[in-house]
Amino acid sequence: MTPENVPVLKLSKISRSFGNVKAVNAVSLEIKKGEVVGLVGENGAGKSTLLKILAGMVQPDEGEIEINGAKASFRGPSDAFKAGVGVVHQEQSLFLNLTVAENIEQRSSPRVGLSRLGLQDWSRVNREAAEVLDKIGVKLSPKARVGDLSFLDRQMVEIARAVCIDPNTTGTPLIILDEPTSVLEQAETAVLEREIRNLRTLGCVIFVSHRLDEILRICDRVVVMRSGRLVSDQSTQGLTKEALFNAMVDEASHTVPQPRTRPSRQAKAAIEVRDLTRRGAFRNMSLSVYPGQIVALVGANGSGCGELMRAIFGAETFESGSIEVNGRRVARWSVRRAVSAGLAYVPAERKVEGMIGGFSAARNIALTHPGEAAAGPFLKPRGLASIAQSWFSRLDVKPNDIRRPLAQFSGGNQQKVVLAKWLNSSNLKVLMLDHPLRGLDVGASQIVNSQVRRASETGTAVLLIPDTIEEAIEMADEILVMRDGELSARHDLTSNSDLALHDIVAEMV
Amino acid sequence: MSSSAGGTDDRGRDRGKVLSTAKASQAIGKRSLLPRDWKGPSTWIAAIAFIIIVFSIINPRFASVENLRNVLEQASVPLIIVIGTTLVILMGSIDLSAQGVMGAAGMAWILLSPNSREAIDLGIWAWVIALGLGLSLGLLTGVIYAQLKVPSFVVTLGTWYVGLGLGTLLYGDGLLPSLTNQHLASWPTRLTLGLPNAFWLAVVVVVGGGLLIQYTHLGRGILAVGNNESIARSSGMPVNRIKVSAFALAGLLSGLAGILATMQIGSGSPDIGSGQLFTVIPAAVIGGTALSGGEGGVVRSTLGVFLLIILNNGLILSGVDPNYQSGVFGALLVIAIVAVAWPQRDRLKVAK
Repeated sequence: MTPENVPVLKLSKISRSFGNVKAVNAVSLEIKKGEVVGLVGENGAGKSTLLKILAGMVQPDEGEIEINGAKASFRGPSDAFKAGVGVVHQEQSLFLNLTVAENIEQRSSPRVGLSRLGLQDWSRVNREAAEVLDKIGVKLSPKARVGDLSFLDRQMVEIARAVCIDPNTTGTPLIILDEPTSVLEQAETAVLEREIRNLRTLGCVIFVSHRLDEILRICDRVVVMRSGRLVSDQSTQGLTKEALFNAMVDEASHTVPQPRTRPSRQAKAAIEVRDLTRRGAFRNMSLSVYPGQIVALVGANGSGCGELMRAIFGAETFESGSIEVNGRRVARWSVRRAVSAGLAYVPAERKVEGMIGGFSAARNIALTHPGEAAAGPFLKPRGLASIAQSWFSRLDVKPNDIRRPLAQFSGGNQQKVVLAKWLNSSNLKVLMLDHPLRGLDVGASQIVNSQVRRASETGTAVLLIPDTIEEAIEMADEILVMRDGELSARHDLTSNSDLALHDIVAEMV
Repeated sequence: MSSSAGGTDDRGRDRGKVLSTAKASQAIGKRSLLPRDWKGPSTWIAAIAFIIIVFSIINPRFASVENLRNVLEQASVPLIIVIGTTLVILMGSIDLSAQGVMGAAGMAWILLSPNSREAIDLGIWAWVIALGLGLSLGLLTGVIYAQLKVPSFVVTLGTWYVGLGLGTLLYGDGLLPSLTNQHLASWPTRLTLGLPNAFWLAVVVVVGGGLLIQYTHLGRGILAVGNNESIARSSGMPVNRIKVSAFALAGLLSGLAGILATMQIGSGSPDIGSGQLFTVIPAAVIGGTALSGGEGGVVRSTLGVFLLIILNNGLILSGVDPNYQSGVFGALLVIAIVAVAWPQRDRLKVAK
């Protein structure tokens, strides 16, 4: 073990850029043995990049990492692992078909005895895993199959794996937990919190969470990142949630745009959702969107916004509650039915769900609603071309080549085509957009936003999950805030235009 | 539209997490008397017993000792192949090359053993060379698959024809090479402890395959890659080596199956493996080895082979018109696969 006064982790001026964006900008940080340090920041503040640098998944452009007093440079995850950095990623990364012991031991197992012959030494693997589980106080059988465990127990296996560092590592381990609680229920979170506090005795912990009260409960210290920089580093002693999110949100750079003038509300909602529930995703969510109205759904990662929107579109199931479209309650809801009822959905994962990359842009536009390009089961090439060309000029798609495979366009232009696919409907009642501006530059964003506004002005109901709260305020008539699957606040922007940004952030965390 | 719908159904990022919670709680809710690994096999043992009873009632000769030996001998070749195939399928890949590799290895073996065409007899070296040929074809497949990242479906389809081509080349335009050594030709049918030698050979392979999966790093690695290749890679597992090894083993076992089949027939032919693929792949699937990888095992594939061989044998003994046999066998196969896949349908929809 290293002497107490040497920090386990020391970062000096770490920077990393992606293109023109400095995702991590001159971050310096020290963590001592026995400390639990919270890391918070808005989406896109650079937390994930910093964690990836520590996990060896991304290499910094500048700066130095010291682990237990020794300079470290990680070329890959296994280097970080060898140095004693254990990571629990946001997404579980366990082999569900193998046993608890195998998952824990899988990297750290030394090649000795039977193992050297390529044989699995079950008794040693099980014994060592049992020791690790015992050390962190988790009661799980090393022989249990991970796929049979509950989500919480699997999270414990993840932690055990992070703790079970390379036996050749002499220093104090650093354990990184990236939002381990985001999908856990309240009671389960309490168990995990206790676990994290226990880890203090083994080494030090970096804990990332969107839930500020959780951070304040668990951590000794909390560091705040904002636009790639580390802007605050303070003890949690006497720190309030308000002070913390004020540090997260930079009021000065957030000029609140003026909401636009809103059309008067019509009598019948285009879409009415009542008490929609799916365990682990969203609970008792009710909302309505009227023709011509734009409603924004905001929430942190794991708040359930995306799942709710997908459930409304029929792409995911719900357990209870109801959806009414144009006043009629839907039954046996599916994407096909949703589309024929006039719903449209621009997904967050554009490349995976929004488009067929190998098809030409023109065919992508005519994919769902071919309109005048259709002649019975056939597509008329001339009709197809004229439709595509008109959307290309309206949305300023570049390059202006409708026959080019969509995969060869830039992200922004792909998004325009995805939007055109839905706007080409003659019967567009509800337009739903999940992070429509993700990865788009200013120009493309403006075009997408103006098309969404135009759709709403012609009587389409719009439900939007924005990237930022500013985007919500700029676009929406009403903002619904979700937290942990529930509606935590509702703001009517048509009557209340001086909404403070950090109020919404407070409702999200 | 269906494209977008399919996509949305399958790949919600956060959704996976939520659903796995639901799945886990389901798994805990269901308690079974049998340990998990035996649930599938026990169903199939029951199914096989049922089929045996039905066929025995139709034709008492079905349950005779002679017929039992007959079934065991028939099952030997597919059993040997299915072990290799199972290793590959567990890894989440597929191996279609068995028939071609059998042809090449079988021809190589017979031409180097006492045969009616040429007077070359290399004895044990005939085995080494023929098995080495199978192994090399498997290695080649594995390397192309792992290093060049070509889908295994395509590579092994290619290896199938390469093997077939090699077999045909070895066959040339000469006379049909048949085994002249009667001792060698009768080896598969001769009995040891009451059961045919061919079957004992299959038993060795099956047990070896089972031990490999349970007790070696390679076996555990195959399961890990089959469950999630990217995690395996980021955990520093030798993924490419695992892939190549699995295909090499599959090639070796196909080669062995080719030699055994040649011995059983008593003469060489590049087509010696004809029709085996139609038994082996469905057998693995019926047994419950998921084509998506990671789930299943040797026991299940073995039971799958027995089910299909018994079905085939029973149909013949039940006096089904030979002209109808293929059709009836195919239909039964589809029914069996649907029956097996039905309970998993929902799970697959959620998981993959």
